[in-house]
Amino acid sequence: MSTHAELRFARPDARDVADLVTRLTADYGERALTSRAIRDQHSHGEGLADVGLPDVVVFPHTNDEIAAIVRLCHAARVPVIAFGVGTSLEGQVAALYGGVCVDLSHMNRVLEVNAEDLDCRVQAGVLREQLNAELKGTGLFFPMDPGANATIGGMASTRASGTNAVRYGTMRDNVLGLTVITADGRIVHTGGRARKSSAGYDLTGLYVGAEGTLGIITEIQLRLYGVPEAIAAGVCQFETLEGAVQTVILAMQHGIPVARIELLDDAQMDACIRYSKLEGFEVKPTLFFEFHGSEAGVAEQSAQLQAITEEFGGSAFEWATKPEDRTRLWKARHSAYYAVKALNPGKVVFATDACVPISRLADCLLETKADADSTGLVTPIVGHVGDGNFHLCVAFDPAVAGEREKADALAQRISLRAIAMGGTCTGEHGIGVHKLDALKAEHGEAVELMRTIKRALDPNNIMNPGKTVPH
Amino acid sequence: MLDPAVHAQLATILPPSALLTSPEETKPYECDGLTMYRELPAAVAIPENETQIAAILARCQAARVPVVARGAGTSLSGGALPDKRGVLLSLAKLKRVISIDPLARTAIVQPGVRNLAISEAAAPYGLYYAPDPSSQIACSIGGNVAENAGGVHCLKYGLTVHNVRRVRGVLITGEIVEFGSDALDSAGYDLLALVTGSEGLLAVTTEITVKLTPKPPVAQVALAAFDDVATAGAAVAAVIASGIVPAGLEMMDRKATRAVEEFVHAGYPLDAAAVLLVETDGIADEVAADMAELTRVLRESGATSIRVSKDERERMLLWSGRKAAFPAVGRLSPDYYCMDGTIPRRAIAGVLGRIEELSDKYGLRCANVFHAGDGNLHPLILYDANVADEMHRAEAFGAAICELCIDVGGTITGEHGVGIEKLPQMCVQFPPAELERFLAVKAAFDPHSLLNPGKGVPTLSRCAEFGKMHVHHGKLAHPELPRF
Repeated sequence: MSTHAELRFARPDARDVADLVTRLTADYGERALTSRAIRDQHSHGEGLADVGLPDVVVFPHTNDEIAAIVRLCHAARVPVIAFGVGTSLEGQVAALYGGVCVDLSHMNRVLEVNAEDLDCRVQAGVLREQLNAELKGTGLFFPMDPGANATIGGMASTRASGTNAVRYGTMRDNVLGLTVITADGRIVHTGGRARKSSAGYDLTGLYVGAEGTLGIITEIQLRLYGVPEAIAAGVCQFETLEGAVQTVILAMQHGIPVARIELLDDAQMDACIRYSKLEGFEVKPTLFFEFHGSEAGVAEQSAQLQAITEEFGGSAFEWATKPEDRTRLWKARHSAYYAVKALNPGKVVFATDACVPISRLADCLLETKADADSTGLVTPIVGHVGDGNFHLCVAFDPAVAGEREKADALAQRISLRAIAMGGTCTGEHGIGVHKLDALKAEHGEAVELMRTIKRALDPNNIMNPGKTVPH
Repeated sequence: MLDPAVHAQLATILPPSALLTSPEETKPYECDGLTMYRELPAAVAIPENETQIAAILARCQAARVPVVARGAGTSLSGGALPDKRGVLLSLAKLKRVISIDPLARTAIVQPGVRNLAISEAAAPYGLYYAPDPSSQIACSIGGNVAENAGGVHCLKYGLTVHNVRRVRGVLITGEIVEFGSDALDSAGYDLLALVTGSEGLLAVTTEITVKLTPKPPVAQVALAAFDDVATAGAAVAAVIASGIVPAGLEMMDRKATRAVEEFVHAGYPLDAAAVLLVETDGIADEVAADMAELTRVLRESGATSIRVSKDERERMLLWSGRKAAFPAVGRLSPDYYCMDGTIPRRAIAGVLGRIEELSDKYGLRCANVFHAGDGNLHPLILYDANVADEMHRAEAFGAAICELCIDVGGTITGEHGVGIEKLPQMCVQFPPAELERFLAVKAAFDPHSLLNPGKGVPTLSRCAEFGKMHVHHGKLAHPELPRF
C-alpha cells in the first residue's frame, strides 16, 4: 500500500503472440480459431461497442486445458480473456490488448445436483435458463436472472443479480464455492459445500465480481431454492412515477417479503407493450411484482401490497395466475433492453446501472428522470427497485454530432448521483471499461488496495487487462 | 516490553489512562474466550476515536510493532490473544450507535457496540440485527465482522457477511478505507467480503453499516425428540429438502439435553437420544402453514414426540435450554473445549457416530449442541485441566474432529475463526496454491505482517513443518525418511 502499485498496460510483443497462436492451434486444432469472423464475434459484449479483437479464440474442455493455456500466456505475458456468451454490458470481454480469448461455452455441464443440501455444481459455460431446465423435476430452482440468458460463469464474474435479488440476494450471496484457474495457471478451489466457513479469507467473495481479472472461474457451486408452493405475479399501473416509487418504498418498509418488484416507467412500458405484444396495459408507470410462499402467505402478502398501492393511486391488480401468463410477463420484463433496441433502429442503446439505499430511491430516481428528460434523448427506466437498483436505457444516434457525448455525460451523472447518495455506480453490471472513473469516485483509497491485490494475484497483469481496476 | 521510543510516540496520541503497560493493568487482556492460551501484551492502547487509531497504526507500522485489535474478548479461537512484542488495541470505547435509517433498514454503528445493543436500539422501529451468536449479550459487532460470526438464526438470515453493507476501517499504514457501500452492492473487487472474517489481519474496523431485519410478527418453535442420532440427522436433511427454510434448526444430543434440563428445567425429554429445535417465523398464516408442514416432515422422519410452542412464553422456555447449553455443559466438568466445524448436512449422522468413537478413543466425554440446519457442529469436549494429560488429549480430540470435517468435504471452522487454535488444521484443509492466495492477500494489505500476526493463515513453512509430522489417512509423507 505504501508503494504506489502501477498496472502496466501494453500490447504484447507481436512475435510472442504469433508463437503462442501457433502453439495453441497445434495443441487444440479446430478448437483454437483465428478467423476474423470468430474473433469479431468475441471482441465485444452488448451495450456500447468497445471492440477489442483477440488474436485467437480457444474452446477448452477441461480445467487442465485452461490451466495449460493460462500457463502459456503467463510465460509469454500475453493477455487472457474469459468469454461466456458475450452478454456483459460494460465492455468486460473486449480484448483491449489482443491476446487469447478463452471461450467457456463447451464447458456447459451441470456436474452435480445435491437436492437435500440445496446446492449444485456447474461448469462456467452453463446458461442460466439451461440450469433451470435441468433442475425441472427436482423441485428446485436457481433464482438469479439477469435480462440476458447469460452463463453462470459470467454471472459470477460480474456479480450479476436480476429481478429477485430483493428476496434471494445477488450472486454474492448465492455462490458457495468456485474452481478458479489462477494467473500462473494453477487450479484452486475456494469455499465449498459447507454452508459457513470462517477458515481463511473469503476468496470466493474476491473472485466473484472480479470480471476475470484475478483468474478464470471454471466451476461454480451454487445455492438452490425450493420452488415455492404458491407463486402469484401481478401488475399495477400508476398515474405518476412518484406514486409507483413510494409504493415500493412503503412495501419494503413494511417488510412485505416480495420476491420481485420491478418498476417500468411510461417510456419503458411503451417499448415493452409494442415489442412483447403485452395486451391490456396502458403507457403509464408500472410495477410488476411477484410473491413466493405458501398459499396463505402469498394471499396475505398480496393483500398487504394492494392496500399500499391504493394509497398511492395504483390501479387494481392485474393477476397473472397461469404459469404461461407469468412467463410472458417476465419475458417482457427481461426483454426490456432488447425492446428499446428494436424500437430505436439505427441507434446505439446502452444500459446504465445505479443502486442506492432504498431511503434515497425516490430522490435518486426522480432527479435522474428530470435530468434524463432534459437531455432530449430516449431514456426509458427499469429497475429492481425493491433493492434500490435501477437502470436507464440510453439510446443515442451515433450519426448525430454530440449525441454520444450527451449520453456519456448523463451516464456519468447517474453514477455520481448514486455515489453521493451513499450508493454505488453498479448494482449488477460491473465495471468493465466504462465505469473505471466512477469506481475511483466511489472508492478513493480502496482503489489503491484493489490495484495492490490485482498485482499480488496477477503479477504479469495478463488476466483481462484494462478492466475493473483503473491504471 | 514496548520500545521506549514507540511508547513515547504513543503517549503523544493517548492520555496516560488509555495507554497501559504494567502487568497489573495489562493482565485483564492476556486472553480471550480461548483461555488455553495466555500472553501479556507489551502495551494496551484504548483509543476513543478513529484519528487516534490511525495515528497508533501508522506509528506501529513505522516501528514494525505488531498490533492486535480486541473487541469484547469473547473469541473462541484466540483471535484477540495478544502479541507479547506488540500493542493490544482495545476498541471498547468506540461503542456508539451512530444512526439508524428505518426506511433503508440499516444502522451505522461503531465496532465496540455489543451485538444485542444494535437490536435494542433498532427495536423502536420494529427492526433487529439478525445474526445472533450465543455470546450476543457481550460480543461486539467489530468482533462479529472480524470472525464472520453466525448464530442460531443465520440459516434463514445469513452470516455476518450477509448482514453487513459497509465497513470503514484503518489499514496498518494509518490510511482510512471504506469497503462496500450503504446500498445493496458496491463497485469493483468485493473487499467487504475479504475483510469480513479476516480475523483482524487486514484492517482495524472503525465503523460498520449493518442491515436490519423487520421483526417477524410471529415465531413458533417445535421441539422434536428422536430415539437415535442418525434418525435426527436424517430429519435435518428432510426438513431442508422440504423447501421451507426454518428460522433456526438446532440439534442437541442426550448429554447436552440432560445437562441443560438440570440447569433450566425447560421440559426437554430426557430419554431422547437427540432433540431438534425447529423454528419458523413470519406472518401468522404463513407460520401456521409452515409449522403444519414441518411437524409432518418431522413425524415422517421418525420423531417420537413433538412439542410446538403455544405462545411466546413457551417459545422462550424451549429456547432457554439451547441458549444455556454451554454454561450447562460447563457444569458437567471443570473445563470444556468448544469445537466448531461445518460439514455438508447429509454427513451429520455419520460424523456424529465417528465423534462418539473418538470420544472412546481419547477417553473424554463430548456433548453435541449445534446449528444442524447449516451443518455447523459444536462438539463440547469435557476435560479437567488439572488432570495430567487431559488438556493435550482434548486438543488432540479437537484436531481429530477438525480433520473429520475436512474428510467429508467440510471446513474446520464454521463461525469461530482460525485464530491461533486451528493453524495446523489450515494446512490440512488448504493445499499450497490456496494458502499462497491467502498470503498474497495478506501481503497486499499488510506487507510487514503486523496486524494480528501468527493467526488466521499459517505460513507455508509452518505447514511444511507440520506436514512432516502429520499422518493423514495413514499416508505418511516421505515414508522413506527415518523417524523417531
